[in-house]
Amino acid sequence: MANCSFEGQSVTVRIQRFNPEVDKKPRLKEFVITLEPGTTILDALREIKNEQDGSLTYRRSCRHAICGSCAMNVNGKNMLACNQPLKDHLDRKGRITIRPLPYQPIIKDLVVDRSVFWGQYQRVKPWLIPPRDVPEKEFCMSPEEVEALKNAEKCIMCGACYASCQVIGLNKRYIGPHALLKAFQRILDPRDSAPGERLADVAGDDGVFRCHTIFNCIDACPKELNPTQAIETLRKLAQKRQAFDAQRRERQKSLINSAPIMSAERPGV
Amino acid sequence: MSDSEIITHDIIIVGAGLAGTWAAMTAGEEKLDIAVLSKVHPLRSHSGAAQGGIAAVLNNVRPVEGTGPRGPLEPIPPGGEAVDSLDLHMFDTIKGSDWLGDQDAIEIMISEAPEIIYAYEHMGCVFSRLPDGRIAQRRFGGHSAPRANYSADYTGHVLLHTIHEQALRRGVKFYSEWYCMDLIVEENICRGIVALDILNGKLYTMRAKAVMFGTGGYGRAWKITSNALANTGDGVAISYNAGVPLMDMEFVQFHPTGLYQKGILMTEACRGEGGYLVNSTDERFMERYAPDKMELAPRDLVSRAEQMEIEEGRGIGPDSQGLYLDMRHLGEQKICERLPQVRDLAIKFAGVDMIDAPVPIQPTAHYSMGGIPADSNGQVIADADGTHILGFFAAGECACISVHGANRLGTNSLLGASVFGRRAGRAMAEFVKDGADLQPIHDDPLQRNQERIKHLMDGDPASNNHESVSRIAEELKGTMTQNCGIFRDEERLANAMRKVNELQERYKSARIMDKSGRFNTDLLEAIETDHLLTFSEVVVASGMARTESRGAHYRTDYPARDDEDWLKHTLAHKEEDKPKLSYKSVNIDWEKFPPQERKY
Repeated sequence: MANCSFEGQSVTVRIQRFNPEVDKKPRLKEFVITLEPGTTILDALREIKNEQDGSLTYRRSCRHAICGSCAMNVNGKNMLACNQPLKDHLDRKGRITIRPLPYQPIIKDLVVDRSVFWGQYQRVKPWLIPPRDVPEKEFCMSPEEVEALKNAEKCIMCGACYASCQVIGLNKRYIGPHALLKAFQRILDPRDSAPGERLADVAGDDGVFRCHTIFNCIDACPKELNPTQAIETLRKLAQKRQAFDAQRRERQKSLINSAPIMSAERPGV
Repeated sequence: MSDSEIITHDIIIVGAGLAGTWAAMTAGEEKLDIAVLSKVHPLRSHSGAAQGGIAAVLNNVRPVEGTGPRGPLEPIPPGGEAVDSLDLHMFDTIKGSDWLGDQDAIEIMISEAPEIIYAYEHMGCVFSRLPDGRIAQRRFGGHSAPRANYSADYTGHVLLHTIHEQALRRGVKFYSEWYCMDLIVEENICRGIVALDILNGKLYTMRAKAVMFGTGGYGRAWKITSNALANTGDGVAISYNAGVPLMDMEFVQFHPTGLYQKGILMTEACRGEGGYLVNSTDERFMERYAPDKMELAPRDLVSRAEQMEIEEGRGIGPDSQGLYLDMRHLGEQKICERLPQVRDLAIKFAGVDMIDAPVPIQPTAHYSMGGIPADSNGQVIADADGTHILGFFAAGECACISVHGANRLGTNSLLGASVFGRRAGRAMAEFVKDGADLQPIHDDPLQRNQERIKHLMDGDPASNNHESVSRIAEELKGTMTQNCGIFRDEERLANAMRKVNELQERYKSARIMDKSGRFNTDLLEAIETDHLLTFSEVVVASGMARTESRGAHYRTDYPARDDEDWLKHTLAHKEEDKPKLSYKSVNIDWEKFPPQERKY
C-alpha cells in the first residue's frame, strides 16, 4: 500500500479480461481513470464500464458489503470491491491489478462459476432442522447462545475465504471455510436437532480435518469472521459427538418445556 | 417457436427476496412444481440489506415506569401488563400512511405479524434476545410502542438467509441469474414470462398456471439512494408494458439517514436507540418539526424537515446538503452491540467512527410505496373495480397492496413482504389446485424480445448517431432528484416530464458495446435503463395530477392534504404509450380509524 495520494490524478486500473468463447487465454487490460475522492474499487469498475468499455463484466449489487456479489482478487488478495477505497490499493506508480476470484472457472472477465461453492453450501444442509415440537412462541435461547452464533450468522457468502483457501486450490471436494462456518452455525444452534449427523458429516474425509490452519480465510473475510476458529471448534466437538448430541437433546427439552407447543412440520405455513 | 425454447412450471415466481421466497416455500408445501427466477443469486436479493427490524406486537418490552414514552426499555415480566396492541400497531400504520393505506389489508398484515416472527424464529433466524431469552424489541419511527424485532442491525440479512435455506430444504427450484424480460398477458389472463438465461444469453418462453412478481422497488431512478444497483423497478415496468396498471407510483419514500453523498443506509434504529439529528448550528432541529416524537417521527416528515434545514442554509458538508446523525452519547458498548454494521459502514464509507464523531447524512431515496396493484392475497387487479388479472400475483415492494399508503413506517416492509409473500404463495397454490391450467400464447413474445436485444446491439455506441445508455440513466437520475424528489411543484414536475420524454426518445438510438451472448451485463443495464424511463414517466404523471400533499408526496404549491378530492389511489394504465390515470377508492373503517390531522 502506498502512502502517496493520487487524488485528482490519473491512475491505472489493470483488469484481467477473458471470454472463453472467443479468447484463448486471459490477458490484462489497462484502463486509465482520474481518481476522485472516495472512489471505491467498484466505483472505478463502474466508471470504466460506463465510459470506456461496456463489455467489462463483473457482479455487483448492493454496493455496501451486505449482498456478497462483488468479491474479487485485488493485487493478489481477495476482497469486496464495493467497500474498498481505490487509493488504498494503488502501488507507488498509481496502479492496481484486479483479477477474478481464483480456483473457479471463469465465466467472463471477473465473473466466476460458483457451482462448486454453492454445492458445498447445500451439502452441509444450511437450513435449521427444528425439533418435531416447537414452542408456540419463541425458543428462549440465552443471550450467550445467541452470541455464540455471531461469528457465523454475519457471513454473506461472498466466497473471498473459499477462493483464498489453499486446500480448495488442491482439492475441490473439501467442504470449504464458507460451508463449514455455516455448518458450525447450525451445530451450535440449540434449536437444531441434528448436530450429531452434521458433526459426522463435517468430520468425514472432505471436512474439518482437511483444514491446514493456514488462516487465509480469516485474512480474506470482509466481515472479519473467523472460519478457522469455527473449524477448530467443530474438530473438538466431533471427538465427543455422541455426548454433544445427548446434551443437545436435554437442552431442547428445557427449551420447549413449560411452554405451549405445536408441530414444526409446517412452520408458519 | 421451437419446443426447446419453452419451459413449463405450475408456478413461476420472479424475485428471490423475502416475498418471492415465502411464496415459493408456502406453495411448495402443496407438492406443486415451483420455480423461482432471480437476476442475481437469491442470497444477493435486496431484502438482505434491511437493517433495523421487522415489526410485530409481541409485548416483550416496555419503557421503565415513570420515564415517559421515550424512557429506557425493560423486559415486561411474565404476566405483566401489555403496552402494545394490534389496534395500536394498526393505528400507527394508518396514520403513517397518511390514511392512504387500505385498512382491511393493514389489519391482515398486523394480525399475522406475531406468527410470522415466531415462524422465522422456528426456522432458525437468530433474533437479538432479552436476558430471559425472549426476542428483544426496539423503538422505530412512527411506532408508538417498541415493536421492532431485530438481529442487531442486519435483520434483513438473517431473515433472507433463513428463508432461502428453508426453501432449499423444501426442494424449491431456483433459476439463479435469469432475467425476466417480459410478462405475457392476453385478455386479462397471465400466461407466462419471457426470460433470459444470463449465463449464455438464451431467451426462453416460460409458461405457468400462475406467475408472481416479487421483484422489489424502484429507487434507482434517483441519484442518492439506499437501493442496490439491481433495484431498477423491472417488475413494475414490465407489468405496465404488459397492460397492468400501476398504483400510487408518486409515493416514493426518502429515508432521513443515508450516508452523505453515498446514500448508503444508516438504519433508523440509530435513532430508535436514541441518536440525534443535528444541523450546522448544533441544534436538534426536530424539536421544531415534531416536538413529541422528535427524531422518531415518520420518515416522510423527518426527511422533509432535513430538506428544509438544508434549503434554509443550515446544512453541513462541502455542498451544504448534509446534516449530522450524532450517536456519541450512546457510548461504545451500545453502538458495538446493537449497531455494528452501520458503525462499520460509516467508518468505511465516510471515514467516521460514530463512537467519536457525528456521522454526515442526507435523505436518500429508499422505498417505493407504489407498484403493481394487488389484493391481500397478492392477486393483481386490472382496474378500480378489482377485476382480476387471472394467474398474476405480486407481493413485496413491487406490489401496492396497499398497506403503506403514502408513507411506509420503518420495519413494516420486511413484515409486509413476508406476510403477503406467504399469502400469495397460498393463493397461488389454491388457484392451481382448483384447476387453473396452462393458457395458450397467441402472440410471439419471444420474437419481440429477440428484436429488442438485436436493436440494442445493432451499431456502434461510439458513433455519433448513437446514445450512451449510462449517460441517459445519469440524466434521468439528475432530473428525478431535482424535480421529483422530496419537494415538488407544478413547474418542477413539468420539467421532469419534458426531460423523461426527451430521454425516452434518445433511448431509441442507444446502443451497447458488448455484443456477446455470454453474461452480458451491458445488455442488462440497457434494459434496466429502459425500465427506469418507463416507470419514471408514471411517477411524474401521477405526481403532477395529485394536487395535494400526502405522506411522501409533498407539493409546495399544494401543501395541505385534501381528503375531499384526493383520498384515493392513483391508477396508471399505459394507453397509446402514455400513462392514463384513473382512481380507486381507499378501504377505510370510518368508525374505527377515520382520517385525522397527522401530527407528531
